[in-house]
Amino acid sequence: MNKSRLALVLAAVAVMLLLLTAWMALYYAPIPQTSVKSADKVLSSIEGRGIRVAGFVCARLPEPHPVVETLGATVFSIADFSDFRNYQDAVTDGRLNDTWWTVRPLDVLVRSMNEEVSSKVILGANLSVFGTVSSLKLGPNSNVTGLSLEVSGSDDVLMGTSASQFDILTAPVAQKIFYFHMPSAWVSYVAFFTTLLASALYIKTRNQKYDRWASSAAELGVLFATIAIATGPIWAKEEWGVYWRWNDSKLVTTFILWLVYIGYLMLRASVVDQGTRARVSAVYGIIGFITVPMSLLSARVAPLLGSSHPVVIATQGGGLSPGAGMTIGVAVIAFTLLYITMLIRRVEIAEAEEELEELKRSIGGEES
Amino acid sequence: MREALTLAAKDLKVELRSKEMVSAMFLFSLLMVLAFRFAFSDSLTAGEVSIEDLAASSLWICFSFAAIIGMHTAFAKEKDRETLEGLLLCPIDRSIIFLGKALSSFVIVFIVDILSIAFFALFFSYGYDGHGLEVVGVAFLGTVTLVLVGTLVAAISVNARAREVLLPILLIPLIAFTVIIPCVAATRNAILGDITESLRDLLSIAGYAVVFGVAGYLAFDYVVEG
Repeated sequence: MNKSRLALVLAAVAVMLLLLTAWMALYYAPIPQTSVKSADKVLSSIEGRGIRVAGFVCARLPEPHPVVETLGATVFSIADFSDFRNYQDAVTDGRLNDTWWTVRPLDVLVRSMNEEVSSKVILGANLSVFGTVSSLKLGPNSNVTGLSLEVSGSDDVLMGTSASQFDILTAPVAQKIFYFHMPSAWVSYVAFFTTLLASALYIKTRNQKYDRWASSAAELGVLFATIAIATGPIWAKEEWGVYWRWNDSKLVTTFILWLVYIGYLMLRASVVDQGTRARVSAVYGIIGFITVPMSLLSARVAPLLGSSHPVVIATQGGGLSPGAGMTIGVAVIAFTLLYITMLIRRVEIAEAEEELEELKRSIGGEES
Repeated sequence: MREALTLAAKDLKVELRSKEMVSAMFLFSLLMVLAFRFAFSDSLTAGEVSIEDLAASSLWICFSFAAIIGMHTAFAKEKDRETLEGLLLCPIDRSIIFLGKALSSFVIVFIVDILSIAFFALFFSYGYDGHGLEVVGVAFLGTVTLVLVGTLVAAISVNARAREVLLPILLIPLIAFTVIIPCVAATRNAILGDITESLRDLLSIAGYAVVFGVAGYLAFDYVVEG
């Protein structure tokens, strides 16, 4: 089988798998529950550290004053935002029992609730609820849009979403974007890593071939990182109430890495001489890739490593239902194949471009 | 090492005669402080911005951008006057050239840092609560790291056509977390009088100085060859 036919077959398989991913994401994958950390785990990890725990459920219900059923625990229910204010006043006035813990929604969600006050309900729960409740049922037609657990110390605030102990669906429709978001992010990391490797090989061997691989992979990396950065906020708006969080290490790292490689591509576009372009961009590609993950170790960023970005969904089988796991598996394979196909094609184009430049030079034309 | 010192001394002598870099960087920095003075005068009076925060952040914006201008000039000058070839023909290790350039850039950038600190004090009638020395100390450490990575990236960007624009585009993503953010935090803590709070910041800045120094030392040869 010759090379171009192989590439064509790969491309066809990748496209089919992408369509399959789309179908599976829509119809096959069950709506997954966010189980980033179980509330128990959160509690045991912060126990005895003088940290206050507060939690709430934010739900969109068919009627302004819904029937909320709870099993096994006391749940403080608030019908709308003004009720929540009353509750907060009660806490500050000391009208509530001392054993109650402060219930405090995340700022971002408060802001999002202001938009649709009547259609949403907050349930504030005390600490014991998180410790003991086994299940929480909402009215039959209620559509839960967010559930958050805030853990706050005296100065640092650590945030995490938690739903495992509650049988609750989080941002169910927006969640579907995950099947495109996570594989794109994965492929962008693979691409940037390819650039790193190819750059190192170029420096070592001075084979022009590796320069083509490095530049092609960087271009694709920027493309897929753009997809990941664009799809993430769509989901985050639903789930977190904001499009972006600057205190999230994963988001910020990806963003800076994206900027570094856009700089890399601009550098390449701006250097005329081929040999110089290959050399200097290889050095920048290596330094850029190494610096960015390293930035995470810096003192200002390290405390933020407690990212609210859901990690477990992607890495731990236990957090995913089999259907969702299967879908994400197919999605990752589809995107990886797509990346390989595009990379092969892009390298071929780079070869053709170099050939063209060579031809132009040989007939005395202008260098482009 | 002696060669590096000689090279740095050569650069400084050239600079002393022409004063191109220092005057450009100094004026730029002066204008930035002036801009901050006017931009924040209302918020400062109203107490919406604390002078510590403003000092730490605006000083580091001045330092970073002045350094970018300076390091760009350091290489662009050599390239334009075609003295870079002569420098590369010297029978010394290329890495020594890197160290020499970094050293001379450091001296110039640090002088401008001190001038900016002084002018900030003058324009805002602000004495850094008696912690001016610590502020200078943080500036010293941060500038070392900034200059080490900046020299390497400037050597990369000098080959490009749009080199003036490209240097900040290539450099800022690399220094955002490694230099600017920890330095702003450390400067703020220095002014507040608890520099020990920022021990980790200072250690990480020093760590990056080592990393960038080693990276530049090793990679400079590949950047300038040919």
